Amino acid sequence: MKQAESMITVDSLVKRYGNFTAVNGVTFQVQKGEVFGLLGPNGAGKTTTLEMLVGLRKPEEGTAFIGSFNIRKELQKVKEVIGVQLQSTTLFELLTVEEILQMYGSFYPKHLPIAELIDDMILTEKRKSRIKSLSGGQKQRLAIALALVHDPWVIFLDEPTTGLDPQARRTLWDIVLKLKKRGKTIVLTTHYMDEAHVLCDRIAIMDRGELIALDTPETLVRNLHAASAISFSVSSEVDLNEWAKVEGVTKADCKEKEVVLYSDDLQLTLTSLIQTASERQIALEDLQTRTATLEDVFIHMTGRSLREE
Amino acid sequence: MKAYWQLTLAQLRIFIRNKQVLFWTLAFPIFLMVVLGFTLGKGGGISVTVGVVDADKSPQSHELLSLLKKNKALSFEAKNTKEQAISSLKQGDLQIVLQIPKGYEERIKQKGAGSPFALPVYYDETNLTVSQVGQQLVNNAIDTISKKQTKYKPSVVIQPEGIESLHLSYIDFLVPGIVAMMILNNNMNGVAGQIASWRERGILRRMQGTMLKAHTFIAAQITARLVLNGLQALIVLGVARMVFGVAIRGSWLSVIAFVILGTLAFMAIGFIIAGIAKTPESAAPIAGFLSFPMLFLGGVFFPIKDMPDFLQPIIKLLPISHLSTALRETMNVGVSFASLGMEALILAGWLIIAFVIASITFKWE
Repeated sequence: MKQAESMITVDSLVKRYGNFTAVNGVTFQVQKGEVFGLLGPNGAGKTTTLEMLVGLRKPEEGTAFIGSFNIRKELQKVKEVIGVQLQSTTLFELLTVEEILQMYGSFYPKHLPIAELIDDMILTEKRKSRIKSLSGGQKQRLAIALALVHDPWVIFLDEPTTGLDPQARRTLWDIVLKLKKRGKTIVLTTHYMDEAHVLCDRIAIMDRGELIALDTPETLVRNLHAASAISFSVSSEVDLNEWAKVEGVTKADCKEKEVVLYSDDLQLTLTSLIQTASERQIALEDLQTRTATLEDVFIHMTGRSLREE
Repeated sequence: MKAYWQLTLAQLRIFIRNKQVLFWTLAFPIFLMVVLGFTLGKGGGISVTVGVVDADKSPQSHELLSLLKKNKALSFEAKNTKEQAISSLKQGDLQIVLQIPKGYEERIKQKGAGSPFALPVYYDETNLTVSQVGQQLVNNAIDTISKKQTKYKPSVVIQPEGIESLHLSYIDFLVPGIVAMMILNNNMNGVAGQIASWRERGILRRMQGTMLKAHTFIAAQITARLVLNGLQALIVLGVARMVFGVAIRGSWLSVIAFVILGTLAFMAIGFIIAGIAKTPESAAPIAGFLSFPMLFLGGVFFPIKDMPDFLQPIIKLLPISHLSTALRETMNVGVSFASLGMEALILAGWLIIAFVIASITFKWE
């Protein structure tokens, strides 16, 4: 790990709702200037973790520091150095872009020049428009502008691209990378693998309230010991061990009739798979090959797909 | 401070840009006022005829009568017996009957020793507006006498002036009620609905993520609503004056003071409802459940005295009763703020209690 100073220190945070433990002892650190991704399916505890860090929820156990400020004891100081974009933010629809930025700016001791911030977030044309009239992507960029208005050290983005079209997502990625260049520390949650891969220096994978992996995207994929994935479906269930015997397969996953085989040698495995299938008279449907992704890492680690509810 | 101004400004902008809400919150009271004013308010001016049964026939009773006669709004008819007077009252020839029993003089000479002397006043329950005004006038005169007797240092000398041109109709009764209704609706229902909806949509939550403090937010909300309600009340009063010639006899400052007090009290209740309501959809019915009975019981459209006896103790506790009474007394009769201390006190009590409960139950999310 880098020798950089740590900007966020999270120490065994626990959050319970009645009998349900939403976050169960999560510990990690984020370095200054890093883009840190919290990844996981819905209900994994990403948002709860993030909301505890920004002071919107009180942890039952554990604590965390932003810079040197304790989130339990120095919340007001924490709020001064963090910027927050919450999931599906709604704002005062009848105010204009400029007005709402002025208003949020006034909540802090000092704020950035609003005009520059609007230019930065590519909202110049919409400066005088009411929030009601903005597109999804523009609203999301405004939400990020609001998070940046007081020039914070750390920016928390909760699913910044959920629900956006591909074009708007790209624009948002560029903005995040631009912020990284300026030395901001960014923590974002997402359930898009490609997004995590493009944006994040390191990724923490969460599942059922726990941190199950934490590393760079490359290392996570490499640790799968498989460069490629072959997926297909079969008409009747076949024992998983049969698939594991196919040549070159490092790992086999199957869920009902959907099968995924991982391999370092795609050609060898494919040839062997076709052979096995015809010997046993199994019809392979929807046969696809692809490069292994974080999604595969996740499925392998949890046995579940990321998008699953 | 910057945040306070910005939030106040933002709230006012939201009010002004929400054209539909702005229109209907103004249109509704004005519509009600005009419709009720033209249908019920045409009864013309009130002429109050007081029947006097003077059984005492002493210099003291004459003094009382001559004091009463200074009021041009009142005309008098002497009656020999109580029965005679009451039957005229029932026929509608008299609106009020004042009886001065024997022993009045003696009692006055005792200079207020012992319990106060009771002067029976009879009035027509079916014509309450008029009889109420009449009672008020008679009351004032009697008050003056009894204060003189006890060497009271009076602050009441101002009374006769407002009364001289007193010429009241239902519309005069109605306008203060409408203003009270607006204050109730816009604040209690308005705050409850808006805050609950902002909470639901996560607007409050997002602000909680900033350095903004809750009291700054609430203070700005209050300021913006005071400005808006003040203006709306002024518009309604302006329309009332132009269309019906309803004037304010008392001090404007007093009217404004009660508008502010009422706004604050009902806003605090609105914050409580917003705290209790789990969804914005449930805020409206809760607010409706509370506001609807208040509109009917609290002297907005009908005199409080028309309400059944068993409800009177409840009505006396309602904030709306005191707001409508105070506005009415100030506007119609010209009573000074100082003599409406009780109303002001009860409204202030509501404000304080509701505010304490609201600050306990208030949730950002």
